[in-house]
This record gives sequence, C-alpha cells and structure tokens, in this order.
Amino acid sequence: MQLIQQRLRTAPPRYWLVLVVAMFFVGLPTVVSSFQSSEWTQVLIFAIVIMGLNILVGYSGQISLGHGALMAVGAYTSAILIHRYRVDYLVTIPIAGLLTGVVGFLLGIPALRLSALYLALATFALAVVTPSLIKRPVELTGGVQGILIAAPDPPQFAKDAFAAITGGPAMTSDQWMYYVSLFLALLLFWFAWNIVRHRPGRAMRAIRDREVAAATFGINVAAYKTMAFGISAFYAGIAGALYGLTSGFVSPDSFPLALSFQLLVGTVIGGLGSIAGPLVGGIFTFWLPIISSQFVSSQPWIPAQIASAFQKAGPAVTYGALLIVIMIFAPNGIVGLVFAGYVRLQARLRGAGDRGTGQMPPDPQTV
Amino acid sequence: MTAGAANLLELEDVRCGYGPTAVLHGVSLHVPEGGIVSLLGANGAGKTTTLRAITGAIHWMGDIRFAGHSLRRMATEDIVRSGIAHVPEGRGILTELTVDENLRLGAHKRKDREAVRKDYERVFEYFPVLRERRRLSASTLSGGEQQMLAVARALLMKPRLMLLDEPSLGLAPMVVRSIFEIIRTINQTDHVAVLLVEQNARLALDLSSDAYVLEVGRVAVSGKSAELQGQESVRRSYLGY
Amino acid sequence: MQELIQQVVSGLANGGIFASLALALVLIYNAMGLLNFAQGEMAMFATFIAFTFINHGVSYWFALPLTVAIAFAGGVLIQRVVIRPVERAPVLTLVIVTLGLATLINGAAGFFFGYVPRVFPSPFSVSTVNLLGAYVSYQDMGVIVVSGVVLVLIYLLLQRTTIGLTMRAAAHHREASRLLGVRVSWMLALGWGLASAVGTVSGIMVAPVLVLEPNLMQTIIIYAFAAAVLGGIESPLGAVVGGLIVGVTVNLAGAYIPFVGGDLQLAVALAIIVGVLVVKPNGLFGRPSVRNV
Repeated sequence: MQLIQQRLRTAPPRYWLVLVVAMFFVGLPTVVSSFQSSEWTQVLIFAIVIMGLNILVGYSGQISLGHGALMAVGAYTSAILIHRYRVDYLVTIPIAGLLTGVVGFLLGIPALRLSALYLALATFALAVVTPSLIKRPVELTGGVQGILIAAPDPPQFAKDAFAAITGGPAMTSDQWMYYVSLFLALLLFWFAWNIVRHRPGRAMRAIRDREVAAATFGINVAAYKTMAFGISAFYAGIAGALYGLTSGFVSPDSFPLALSFQLLVGTVIGGLGSIAGPLVGGIFTFWLPIISSQFVSSQPWIPAQIASAFQKAGPAVTYGALLIVIMIFAPNGIVGLVFAGYVRLQARLRGAGDRGTGQMPPDPQTV
Repeated sequence: MTAGAANLLELEDVRCGYGPTAVLHGVSLHVPEGGIVSLLGANGAGKTTTLRAITGAIHWMGDIRFAGHSLRRMATEDIVRSGIAHVPEGRGILTELTVDENLRLGAHKRKDREAVRKDYERVFEYFPVLRERRRLSASTLSGGEQQMLAVARALLMKPRLMLLDEPSLGLAPMVVRSIFEIIRTINQTDHVAVLLVEQNARLALDLSSDAYVLEVGRVAVSGKSAELQGQESVRRSYLGY
Repeated sequence: MQELIQQVVSGLANGGIFASLALALVLIYNAMGLLNFAQGEMAMFATFIAFTFINHGVSYWFALPLTVAIAFAGGVLIQRVVIRPVERAPVLTLVIVTLGLATLINGAAGFFFGYVPRVFPSPFSVSTVNLLGAYVSYQDMGVIVVSGVVLVLIYLLLQRTTIGLTMRAAAHHREASRLLGVRVSWMLALGWGLASAVGTVSGIMVAPVLVLEPNLMQTIIIYAFAAAVLGGIESPLGAVVGGLIVGVTVNLAGAYIPFVGGDLQLAVALAIIVGVLVVKPNGLFGRPSVRNV
C-alpha cells in the first residue's frame, strides 16, 4: 500500500495525463451518441495502426507506405474466418494480428536490403497493387464485392453494465465495438510503451540514428528491423480486423493507397518516436478529411457548385497543402512542435539561473 | 600593406568558422594585380577555410574585396563569375562528365569564341594528355592529370584571380614541378593573379612573390617570399625546413 | 505468330509511355536523389490542360507542345515553391512532401476538371496496318514515334547543348559546379521543368487509350517506376530500355500467362520493382554507389 502511495506521489505529471486521457475515453460513449462513438472507434483503430507504424518508422527508421495493405490482410483474415469458418469474431482478432505479423515479418526480410527511399517505393507499389491482388482469388475474398460481416452483438454483461451506468437505451453494437477497440488500444499502447522503454526500443533507436555504428556495438540490426516490421504488422492486422468488424464489410477498395499514405502521415504528424503521437495521429487521420469538407460546405459565401466540387476534391487539396506546409515548418510533427513549446515555456518559467532541480526535460520518447 | 588600386584581392580582419568553432581569427592579406601570393601553414591553420570564405562557401565577418567590390553576401556562382577561379582541395573534377565537358564548363560563360578557341589550343599545348583523353570520362584520369584538368579548366574561365588549394597534394614531384611551371607561365602571359595555398612551402616560395604564414587562424608571418626563404628561423618554426 | 507481333508492338507502344514517365523520374532522381511520387499526377494534370485546349478548338498538334511548355513552367514553379524549402530534409520528409503534392494535384484535378471520365481524342486513327502479317494499329505506331521523338530531343538537349551540360553538371556535382559559375539552384528548377514536360508526353499518349480522369496515371506510375528501377534509376538510357522491356514483358505476360491475365499485370510490375531492388539495385545500367558512413 505504501509503495503505491509513494509511486502516486512521485509519478511525473505525464502519468497523470495518460490517466486523464484514458478516463476520458472510457467515459466517452456514455455521453455521446452511438454514431459519434463509432467515429471515435475509427480514431482508435487508426491510433492502433499508427502505434505500430511508429515503432517501425519512428524507432527502427524504416519507411512503409504499405500499412494499408497490411490492414487489409488483417481485415480479410478476420472476415474470412468469420464468414467461411464461423469462428467467433473476438477470436479472429488476435489471429488476424498474428497472421499479419508473420506476413510483416516476412516482408521485413527483403526490406533489409532496401535503402529508405527504395523501401518507400517498394511498399508504395505494394499498396497500389494490393486491391487487384485481393480481387483475384474470388472464391476466398469475394472479389470486387468483398465480404459482409454481421455487426457483433454486445454480450449480456456489457449491456447490463452499460444500461446501469447510463440508465438509457441498451448498448449498441457500435458502442460495444468501441469498448473492444479501446481495450485493445490501451493494451497495445502499454505493450508498445514497454518495448520502447526497454532494450528493444533503445536498440531500435540506435539503429535508426546510426545503423553502422549500432552494428559495431553488437546490436543484431537485421533481427531488430525485421522484428519491427513484424510488430508493426501485428498492430495493423488487429486494427484491420477491427476495421472490418466496425464497417460491417471488407472490400478491395476499402484499402487504397490513400489509406497507407494517410497512416504514414498520421504517424509523422503525430510525432515520430513519441508515445502520445499515435493518438494525435489517429485523430488527425480521421477528422481532417471530414472537417475540411464540412467546413467548406458550411460557409454560406461559397457558391453551391464550388462547395460540392470541393466536397469531393477539397479534402485532398487541403490534406496535400497542409502536409507540405507542415513538413516545411514542423518536421517533428505536431507533438514535436508542442513539445518544443513546452520546453521553452518551462525554461522561461524557471528562469535562467535555476539549475537546482537538475531534472532534464523529459525525453519525447518516454512519455 | 598598401591599400588601393593595385590590390586585386583584399582580406581585412576576416573571421569565420564552422558552427561554434571559429577557425579564422582575423586574417588580413592582399593579392596585387597579376601577382602570385602563397598562403602557407600547417594542417588546420585555416588555409583552405580562407579560400572557401573568399568564394562564399562559408559565412565570414570582416571584409573581403575583389577589384574594389565587397564579396559579402554574394553567391558562390556570382563571385566566380566576377573573375575568380577556385581550384578546391580535391580538385573539384566533375567525374560524371568527360574531360572535354569539364573544359567546356570552364568556358561556358564566355562570349568571345575566338579567344576561347585560342585558349583551348594553349591549354592543350600545356597539357597534351588532356587532348588525348578528351572524350574519356574525367574519372579515368590519374591524380596528376586531374590536377592538370582542374588548372586547364580554371584557365579557360579567363579569371583575373586563381585560387589554388594544395595543387601539389598527392602528386609525383615531376608532375608538380611541371604544373607549377605552367602556373608561372599563365601568370606571366595572361597576368592572372594567383593565391596559392600550399603545404609544400619551398615550392610555393619559389613561385610566389609574397607569402603569408597562417598559424591557428592568424597571420603569423608575412613578407616577400625571397626574404622569408632567407630567414632560417622563420623556415624552421613555420615552414618545416 | 501474328498475335505475338501485335502484342510486341503494342507492348513497345506502352513501353514508350512508360519510358517517358520513367525518364522524368530519372531526371529528378539524378538532380536531387529523390523519387518524385507526384510525377504521374503532374502529368495527369497537364493532360487535362491539353484536353481543355483541344476541347476549345485548338488543334492537337498545337495543343501538345503548348501543354508541354506549360508543364515545364509548372515543374519549375513546383521546384521553387515546394521542393526547395525541403531540399536538405531527410528522406521521410521528402517522401511525404511528394506524396502530399500528388494528393494535392489529384484533388485539384478533381476540383477543376471533375471526376467524370472523359474521352481524350487521338490524332492517330484506330485502324490498323499490315505489318509482317500482323495487324498493328496506327495508334500504337503513333505512340512509338512520338515517344521516340521526344526521347531523342531530350537526349540531344542534355548531351549536345550547353544548357544540358550545365544541368547535368549541377545534378551530379553541386558544389563543384558552383565553382564554375553554374547557377545550380536554377539548373535544378530547370530539371524539374524538363521532367514535368517529359512526363506530360506520357500522359497525353496514354489518355486516349485509358479514360481521362484524375486517377489516370496511378497505375502508369508503377510501370514507370518499374522501368526506371530496371534500367537503373540514375540512367536516362536505362529508363528508355527499361520502359520498353517492361512494356513488352507486361503485355506478353498478360496475354500468355493465364495466371496473370489482364488484372494482375500491375503485380508483374511490382515483382519487377521488388525483384530488381533486392537482387541488383543498380538495375541494368546503373553504377554501384558507395555508402557514406
């Protein structure tokens, strides 16, 4: 008991921040509509992929433009297992994750031979080709039409608990899937945090910064890099399975190149190598297209024709333009920008002369 | 130091460095019209940095004037176009291109075709091997041949001032001697001034009329080359022989 | 046999299209060491501009060079505005910037020109001529000729003119070129302009075959990358040879390998890309490079 009290007292502020954020997310569905909960589920799903992608890009320094394709692997694994083999949907999630993880690991092997730019190219090509690869085995994947997935019904205990807390209508499938996703997100977050904090994280950072030097230190570069691919694919697979379950279907066109790109961007925008980044990235990835198209149509002074053209095209234009601007001005992503501001603020508050605390500003990698 | 019209290049109290490390702590020197000046000193004294400052590769404080105009804030390519040819350490040969293409780049800004043609002839007279290897990739040249190409190319730029960074480095003595002879000829025939950075102090002093010795970013000794050669104490302390 | 000839000729025609776009990629890679993922979208946008001209009564053979000139200017503009600020940025940033540019241009095309697929007119009739017993379309032959002319012009420009010389110098040796009075920064901009112009030809050649809509070049760019990688990403000659090889190979694979069929041709391109990069990253004509540690 005393140990816990001690821990609570000395916990740095960022632990509290994490706790507050977690509580916000746990409570969310009780106060917003079911549809809105499902939107936030999408945010969580993207956050999960980005956590994995963060390990690959931010920590082991490898670029991937193919994580949308990996999500497709996870989604289709889960869908096929449910549809053809009548496996329970919850069980399909870890299976999808593991299978995708193996695929990712295998991809990571030839990836070792590719420099950053060429790896980007190879994964780019993979992402573009994937929809047509999926369409081919029609028997298995349902071809162009994809596979429909029935919305999972919440188990009784969940319905009861939810009803008790909100005193309102019964828990919907969307809300249930929200909690499933949240649970997985927290679990995977904890897992990623531990990887990053301990030796694998340090090894990967060493590889990212100076690969040749890392090798001379005895770090098994190949093992860590392929492992990073495998882990990030595992995350993508789980997210993909959730994606299918929450959309109600999977189809080849659900996983275009644009998705892979958005995921990479979300990772970078959130802030590479930071733990808070994936959540910011997930939010950004999901909300930006919606906000930018809604914003334009809500402006009365824009004529209807332009607004409707903008609806379809606008998000892309805004997205692209915003990205370019951000890359020019904030190469460390939004979290990096906020963080730099935080450090400067702290320095100013403390005043130049105060060296007393001796506490270094927290390393962005270890929230 | 006489200020005024006779000086083609003037450096006054030049300070610069790389990031937080200062390399030059106030170097002043001048190169007269048509003169040959050597810049000597040990490794790390700042000789190459001085040349790089002149052609605008690094920021500097103080004053650098060429033919009366300050070179502050000028881009490298503009400095070069105003009449300074810089043969850098490592010779700056464009190895992806042929010998001929390298030479053409030397002359590419010039409009006086006849004179360019004559200069080509002269260059091939000085360095016949370049005519032989014209069509070959510049990467196939030996070190000495690349140095010749670099000097030939600089000559084709018809500069008023040539900056040479360690032309003798890595070359056989006979090759070095012939290159230095050609530099002397160029200086006398075309009145091209030369600022010569060299570790081989003896050769440099033989060629040049004036010399400056840099030590840790400052001018330690300067004067007429002949005098410096005569002073044994100077030779021992600064020039290593 | 006749069918083989037909497939080969049409493969060469496709190859000409791939080669043009691949050449654009190689030009930019040589200049800046980056893969311009937006090359296809830039070509697509220019093709829409050509379409607009033609729709307003401009003759095809006048619209083509006019559009190429506009595309040239556009390429220069993009280099000055978007690329120059991030010139020294790490690879990841550059990848994102070019992909962001691709997204932006794609959206802009949708915005200005709409998503309705258009039929792009071709100056070549679709009728066929008898070649060695096979029926070869004028369209294919026309594409081969036009692509060939463009590629030869680029070759002459780069190898025989002074400005081509300074562009090549600036691309491979920046600092040394500066010391020779070359305005390196502008040469890089010209490189982008030239690449944009060449890529545009690719778009205009392919538009009559596929339909003109914002996603026109999304698959073509993959074939172009395969061509560039196969030929050696630094070699303009490689881009041309690679393009022709990819064009013919993909066509033949689609026609004669039942597994591939019509819809997995793109996967052949992917296989080429990954295969070459893993086995012989320098491609056919590239030179091995030393990694600086």
